[in-house]
Amino acid sequence: MSTEESSAVDDVGIAAGVSVERPWALLVLAGFWGWLGSRWINDFLLPDSIAVSSERSFVPVDPVAAAAETLGSVAAALGPVGAPVDVVASLVGFVAGSLPHLPPLARGAWLTLLLTVAGIGFGFVLAVPLSVGRVYGGRWLRWLSLSYTELIRGTPLLAQLFVLYFGLPLTQVIRELPGVGAGPLPAQAFWVAVVGFTLNSAAYQAEYIRSALESVDAGQLTAARAVGLSRAEGIRYVVLPQGLRYAIPGWSNELIYLIKYSSLAAFITVRELFFRAEAIANDTFRYTELFVLAALFYLALVLSASVVMGWVEERSSVPGVGGRQ
Amino acid sequence: MTLLRIDDVYQSYEAEQVLQGVSFDMQQGDVDVLMGPSGSGKSTMLRCINRLTEVDSGDIWLGDTHVTAPETDVNELRQDVGMVFQDFNLFAHLTALENITLGLKRVKGVHAEQARERARGHLDQVGLGDQTDAYPAELSGGQKQRVGIARALAMEPKLMLFDEPTSALDPELVGDVVAVMQDLAAGGMTMLVVSHEMGFARSAADDIHFLDNGQIVESGPPEQLFEQPEQDRTAGFLSGLQADGPQ
Ligand SMILES: Nc1ncnc2c1ncn2[C@@H]1O[C@H](COP(=O)(O)OP(=O)(O)O)[C@@H](O)[C@H]1O
Ligand SMILES: [Mg+2]
Repeated sequence: MSTEESSAVDDVGIAAGVSVERPWALLVLAGFWGWLGSRWINDFLLPDSIAVSSERSFVPVDPVAAAAETLGSVAAALGPVGAPVDVVASLVGFVAGSLPHLPPLARGAWLTLLLTVAGIGFGFVLAVPLSVGRVYGGRWLRWLSLSYTELIRGTPLLAQLFVLYFGLPLTQVIRELPGVGAGPLPAQAFWVAVVGFTLNSAAYQAEYIRSALESVDAGQLTAARAVGLSRAEGIRYVVLPQGLRYAIPGWSNELIYLIKYSSLAAFITVRELFFRAEAIANDTFRYTELFVLAALFYLALVLSASVVMGWVEERSSVPGVGGRQ
Repeated sequence: MTLLRIDDVYQSYEAEQVLQGVSFDMQQGDVDVLMGPSGSGKSTMLRCINRLTEVDSGDIWLGDTHVTAPETDVNELRQDVGMVFQDFNLFAHLTALENITLGLKRVKGVHAEQARERARGHLDQVGLGDQTDAYPAELSGGQKQRVGIARALAMEPKLMLFDEPTSALDPELVGDVVAVMQDLAAGGMTMLVVSHEMGFARSAADDIHFLDNGQIVESGPPEQLFEQPEQDRTAGFLSGLQADGPQ
């Protein structure tokens, strides 16, 4: 959620590095999603009779813990030469300690994914009219969309979530909707967070799209008008298809920020990834382990987003418009 | 039959007075060339004819259509007036074919398959039948400009406006575009061309209008204007052109 050019360059760089130079990173990501997907299917869809308990790890913990212990004693026996073995032993020990926490973290990651996708998707639907209004609107429309983006970008996201959750009657309204919090549908706090991230992300996306629209040559709309298209049609069929392609790199950045900022939903009690990690850490006092684990989840999500957005950018580019030339 | 009548047109941008009482007529099938120094108002004159720019006063008629009347539907009017731009302004995200079908489909309501058929015909007409799927970035300047001409022709205009169609081109690409314009002229299209391309003016123009400071200084057929201009300003401008070659 930053408009700084430097970070735009960095995050796009990540995508290029992962997909082209490090095919093994793609393999790791494929493994991560394979596991995460199986976990969600197991926990949310399979009947209890055939599913692994939603609290139990797929990989049994005890043998891994035993292996860590054996490696540890081998390292001790080797003395000073055993240092590398000791490193491996502590890594295996970390895995053994993490295994029991993976199932709840996977369920948290499901909400993180939903929040991010909903925020970016609904935010986009709002951002397009906001940015078009900003660039092509009359005085009032320009003023309105400028005020909106400045208000949202000028105040902390956490404060916006608190206002929505505690300050407005929104929480009550959503609680009364049929189905909310029952069965697979998340509880009302989640929906408040979706509204918050949508409103917030719309403002940031509108800024990216606005500057992309402004970079489309004015002659394009003139030519559209000269053919007989109305102004609105010219914007719809000529300016937007080009502007949106130019906006993709900035848009990818916004997605990456949103993945990380979605952790703020924990503060309004949404049981997403960060909420789960913190809750387990509070119970077990293993703060470092749990936050390292959560960080690895976020890293995998961010890298995946980079790969997907790099692909979208390539697929949507045409010669001369968009893509990395 | 008079197709275009321009009657005492004045136009200004904020502080700057650009057109200062321009009048001339064109008959159906005429090819007129508008010449004049940079900043004299040539582009502005063309843009007033398809209402990309509004006049301050004066009247423009295209056939029976009162162009400058506020109630005239500009989107209707623009279908009758094709425009070709100095820097092409092809739709950058669309192929050569799609550049042409967009207007056919969205403005004229032509069915997609029929629009493609017609667009192919117009690309053939400008010698680009083999470039239907090329994007503008993949075409040379001369090819882009010919797509620009085909895009305008596809709307079946009564009048074609050209705003320095060859001045952004490398010299060796000018010929192809001029040839297409000469074909059009020979085919009876009414054309108003801003250009300093002497070859085209000599071979195709019925009348040349010399515009300076927003006023038409002198008009006449090419032989007369080029060989025996009546005004010193015309003579001075044209001798500069001939000395420097086409710009
Ligand atoms: N959109 C505009 N806003 C303000 N001034 C303009 C605009 N377009 C053209 N002008 C001014 O009007 C004058 C005539 O311009 P133009 O019609 O483009 O001349 P030409 O095509 O003969 O070079 C120039 O001085 C130019 O700076
Ligand atoms: Mg000009």
